[in-house]
Amino acid sequence: MIIRSLRIGAAAGALLALAACAGIKAVPAGPYVHGGTSMTVGRTWTDLGLVPGSPKALRMLTIDGPALNTLFVIDGLKDGEYIVRATSKERPTPTYRRGISPSEQVEFLADSTAAIGFQRVETDNIRPVTVSGVDGVRVDLTAQTAAGLNVSGTAQLVEVGGRLYILFYVAPTEHYFEATRAEVEAIMGSAKITG
Amino acid sequence: MKRLFALAAACLMLAACTTTNVKSATGLPTAPPKEAKVLVAQPDIELQLLTAGGLLEPRADWTTAARTNMQAAVEATLKGKSHEFKVLDPSTAMEGREGQILRLHGVVGGTILTYPALPSKTGFDWTLGEGAQLLAVKYSSDYALFVYGRGSYSSGGRVAMFIGAAALGVSIPMGGQQAFASLVDLKTGKVIWFNQAIASPAADMRSPEGATLLTEALLKGLPL
Amino acid sequence: MSRPIVRAALSSILAASIATSTVTPAFAQRAVGQRPDIATDEGGLWAQSDKAETEAKTKAELNRDPELTPYVRGVACKVAAEYCGEVRVYVLDRPYFNAAMAPNGYMEVWSGLLLRARSESELAFVLGHEVTHFAQGHSLASWRKTKSAANAGMVFMLVGGSIVGGLLYLGVLSSLFAFDRTQETEADALGLARAVKAGYDPSAAAAIWRSLGEETAASDFPKTRRSDTRASIFNTHPITPDRIAALDALAAGAATPSVGERARYRAQIRRFLPAWLTDDLRRRDYGQTLHLIDRLAADGEDLGVLEFYKGEAFRRRRQEGDLEKAKVAYAAAATRPDAPVAVWRELGDVEARLGLTTEARTAYETYLAKAGDADDRWLVEASLKKINGGAAS
Repeated sequence: MIIRSLRIGAAAGALLALAACAGIKAVPAGPYVHGGTSMTVGRTWTDLGLVPGSPKALRMLTIDGPALNTLFVIDGLKDGEYIVRATSKERPTPTYRRGISPSEQVEFLADSTAAIGFQRVETDNIRPVTVSGVDGVRVDLTAQTAAGLNVSGTAQLVEVGGRLYILFYVAPTEHYFEATRAEVEAIMGSAKITG
Repeated sequence: MKRLFALAAACLMLAACTTTNVKSATGLPTAPPKEAKVLVAQPDIELQLLTAGGLLEPRADWTTAARTNMQAAVEATLKGKSHEFKVLDPSTAMEGREGQILRLHGVVGGTILTYPALPSKTGFDWTLGEGAQLLAVKYSSDYALFVYGRGSYSSGGRVAMFIGAAALGVSIPMGGQQAFASLVDLKTGKVIWFNQAIASPAADMRSPEGATLLTEALLKGLPL
Repeated sequence: MSRPIVRAALSSILAASIATSTVTPAFAQRAVGQRPDIATDEGGLWAQSDKAETEAKTKAELNRDPELTPYVRGVACKVAAEYCGEVRVYVLDRPYFNAAMAPNGYMEVWSGLLLRARSESELAFVLGHEVTHFAQGHSLASWRKTKSAANAGMVFMLVGGSIVGGLLYLGVLSSLFAFDRTQETEADALGLARAVKAGYDPSAAAAIWRSLGEETAASDFPKTRRSDTRASIFNTHPITPDRIAALDALAAGAATPSVGERARYRAQIRRFLPAWLTDDLRRRDYGQTLHLIDRLAADGEDLGVLEFYKGEAFRRRRQEGDLEKAKVAYAAAATRPDAPVAVWRELGDVEARLGLTTEARTAYETYLAKAGDADDRWLVEASLKKINGGAAS
């Protein structure tokens, strides 16, 4: 009984998935715009499209697959919004609050990274950056997947008009983080907030 | 939640539509030389049963039998080949950078299955990076052969969110039995050959005959 | 009853249970060193436990401190008595109260438990409770019963993992074992007997279960406050008042763990307080974290660290009046020698937000004087500049 209904569910799921997988599209070298965030990429990336269960403000870009390199593009979170959706009302996930300090913005990102499921999330080397004339911060991050694979990350956060804009790159420390780091630095340097 | 899972699972299942799906690196000499030394990792197999009551029951006898059978079938396939083979028990190699490389391989293999056609990738171009040389040196090997097998008869549970499953490389179990094999050039870290096989009822890993059939399909075209 | 008499009484309970098991003969107390036939369902459970253990060695959450696991193993060994040689302990850094022991001898102890035990006696009781589940074969019994249960209320288990607090925890062993009331009551009584036989304080058993109930009641969330208290997030059987009463009765007249004993235990976990409290804050149930911190502070030790994390809880919670409470907590922490240097920065931020410019300036300047070459100096300098109206201090 269970198996049969699963099979039916799977077929329906496959139809849905055609749509979801079809949401995957190429981002050729050149300009990339997501809402109020615009940037220039130096090579072809893949945009995974709307991420099921996550807010529309979030996009995941990847080159080799999201577990090997991901650039999270978070476009203008509003007061009270989250990156990671809570699965129950009594188990809240981190929410952004308008006007929090830069170190609290970093804390929000680190806590959200932990809420995704990464372990031993630590941030380091917080430093100033200017994005579209507004003061923001850059920060580095280390963590592990639950299986114990070390990952490295770097992020750029800026609050414009009471909304939080984040570019956050994560990849396994072994080979993958360094392999795309220069490209990511260039992308972050090119970012503009037009929101 | 169920819809989320169905979406994620279906994306994975689409990747597995064909019964075997061989991929080889483009533009690389895929056949290792006859005197190459190959590190053969013991197959990573896990089989479970969905009971009538809807619970997943771990079956040690199936898993152990499947692992033994697949190992024997792999060794039989490799016998007679000119290469020098050395067996590695992965559970003894999970510390330090070596352990990172092995974990990374699991993630790369799962990614190849899940995202076979990313527009940002041209051709079949997957690597473990320069760290693979560590394995080459430690085990005096030029190449490494990995085999993974999973079998379950349910959809398993739920995944809290796609963002977690995607970013962490969590593999969501599919129905039936499936296996994948990869051959890695340890000097460059590149995956030079990859195959994936869905088992038909006749190719059940739990019996020696079934494991032989599945392994034949799985390692067909292995450039060794 | 005086302590020696209590101990003798409990020892005889343990001895009696070894002689005539209180569970059905099919699951009589296991022989030391026994292993099941691999083709049986028990063999399947054993193999799954083996796999969980192999994975635990590679997990990110494994606590690799060279002294902590041997310490916990030592306590487990004392209460495991005849099974000491079969017990292998793994400490996982997970911010929930939990310990579990698999039929193959693999034992998981979570940092959330180590943070909440107030003495080695409390830890010993909990580990004795788990050893009893192991010794009496409860996990196999419960697995068989769950398998044959009717369709209603069945649970899909993620392969090798569980959802806890919305997070996917891979390789979680404890989700496999759901014990019933009889098994839990037996584990309480025999667990206490084991702990007492090993020289631990009998009153610790009721004390730790009672404290879990108090923490449940302290939650920020109404449904959680009303929910049953459980000895583990995975257990399906709650810690009911009758279980606590039974333990009280067994320990009647015995004294509570001494301040000295609590101090000795605190010395074992002191260096983990910052990391484990940070993990607890990430659960985002600040009512519970604040309750936990108050309990940890009861003996007056480690107040610099504890008051700092109290401030962090108020700062993060952001309810009406919390900003002022955060200020009070940070300011109290700042007077202690063991406060982290970050307290001055946080105090400055909170005072600035409250409009207390003079105090904020003092706090920021103190931070800069103490912080050496911390990478966030420039942030504090910028904050200082801002409250000075743009002029350099």
